[in-house]
Amino acid sequence: MLLDFEKLGILRPFLIGLTALVCLFLILPIVFIAALSFGSSQWLIFPPPSWTFKWYQMLFADPRWLYSALTSLKIAAIVTVLSVVIGFLAALGLNRGSFFGREALRALFLTPMILPVVVLAVALYALFLQLGLAGTTVGFIIAHLLIALPFSIISIGNALEGFDKSIEDAAILCGASPWEARIRVTVPAVSHGIFAAAIFSFLASWDEVVLAIFMASPTLQTLPVKIWATLRQDLTPVIAAASTILIAFTILLMVLAALFRKGRKA
Amino acid sequence: MVVSATTDGGQRKIRRNGSFGYVVPALLLIAFFFIIPVLMLLMRSVLEPTPGLQNYRELLGSTTYLRVFMNTFTVAGLVTVVAVVIGFPVAWLLAIMPDKWSRLVMAIIILSMWTNLLARTYAWMVLLQRTGVVNKMLINLGIIDKPLALVNNLVGVTIGMTYIMLPFVILPLIGILKSIDPAVLRAAALCGANKRQCFTRVLLPLSLPGIASGALMVFVMSLGYYVTPALLGGTSNMMLAELVAQFVQSLVNWGMGGAAALVLLVVTLVLYAVQLKFLNPNRAR
Repeated sequence: MLLDFEKLGILRPFLIGLTALVCLFLILPIVFIAALSFGSSQWLIFPPPSWTFKWYQMLFADPRWLYSALTSLKIAAIVTVLSVVIGFLAALGLNRGSFFGREALRALFLTPMILPVVVLAVALYALFLQLGLAGTTVGFIIAHLLIALPFSIISIGNALEGFDKSIEDAAILCGASPWEARIRVTVPAVSHGIFAAAIFSFLASWDEVVLAIFMASPTLQTLPVKIWATLRQDLTPVIAAASTILIAFTILLMVLAALFRKGRKA
Repeated sequence: MVVSATTDGGQRKIRRNGSFGYVVPALLLIAFFFIIPVLMLLMRSVLEPTPGLQNYRELLGSTTYLRVFMNTFTVAGLVTVVAVVIGFPVAWLLAIMPDKWSRLVMAIIILSMWTNLLARTYAWMVLLQRTGVVNKMLINLGIIDKPLALVNNLVGVTIGMTYIMLPFVILPLIGILKSIDPAVLRAAALCGANKRQCFTRVLLPLSLPGIASGALMVFVMSLGYYVTPALLGGTSNMMLAELVAQFVQSLVNWGMGGAAALVLLVVTLVLYAVQLKFLNPNRAR
């Protein structure tokens, strides 16, 4: 009765109303930002007095925005590749191995995900100051790799869980070398897990703020650091324009992921 | 059996691989850039400026820092309660409503979750400011006469954080609610329970492990948040993560920074252990 949509009685309009409100609560900030990025008001008055592209023009006229976006892209791309490769190996080891402490190791690999990022950021910052890695691309990549890796290990681990290892063994028995079998049999079979790992790793790095604030230098900033630094000064609509582009990018990724899932079912 | 005689080499090849060696790259990364730096930071908290526990004494003994702890736990607690109270009915409806509609709601939830954290926080900074949409709407509706101070205080932080945490309550709860057999509720109704009793004595208790686990996760995540409190809370309403960052960035006091980080770390790990041990919905079932 309470779990039957048709027989909820007076609860039904209540639940539907509340859910509609929550949906508005979740979607409105995103819609407002997109709308305000085209509004002419410097003070972000809504509804805007008139419409304009000037914030986008300002955004693209300032080479620092573009440069920070390219920096983000470069770091996220390298992190994605490393995270997928190291994550695939680790997931394979955790999935196949029967060595002592395997479960503890799995938990250890996932800890960077649950730990407050600020603790990791401060600790890495201290280490990198000593190693001379603070404010370098390498430092950035290491920091982001740490939080991207758990996503890879989970996604690829789940996919390996559903893969029958005897197929790989069969390839080896038929004369393939173990690595040939893994790359030509196992990797294609778990490609959906690898794809998910790549998307999550990319987003983990691309959107990351806290580690980035500590890893950045005046000359090396990712896009979130640039937004953060600008936000601390004022609420300029240029950030609305930058945010809108990021939101559009997110929607694109969501559509891609949905299409990929549909393609797999077909 | 014939096969085993001829493919001895193959069998050995299979057995030799697929073990510890594969986890070594990940292990080295975690050891060098996670375990060692965190331990080094914690060491500094008891070694700087002089060996001893004075950093912890100062951190836990002064009213300034006590307020930071109060802020942190108050906001995390409020966010958790609000997110669960709002999130539970939504998850309930999502678990039983027709697919066509639930897919739309899910898309909205996931879009908000995947949107850049800074973009979402910026949105709330704009919406909640003195001349922002929320204040304007409340004035136009005649609920208030003067604009309310909704940012640069803990109200703003709570709203912004609830926005971020809602999906983390709703998404796991859907699965829990879907796994409850509707027949149990029909049975309760047949035995004479009214709707209210069905809810308080059957549905709620059955979903309690999921609620508790989600609530704890949101609480832990909220405790360690840095960006949203820093932007929506202003400088006078600091939370623990901001304190850690401030010690290191502006005050360059690694001893106190390490101590504050350790407190945050210990609270997080203890609550996480509780979650794994008692509240893991997969294990409880």
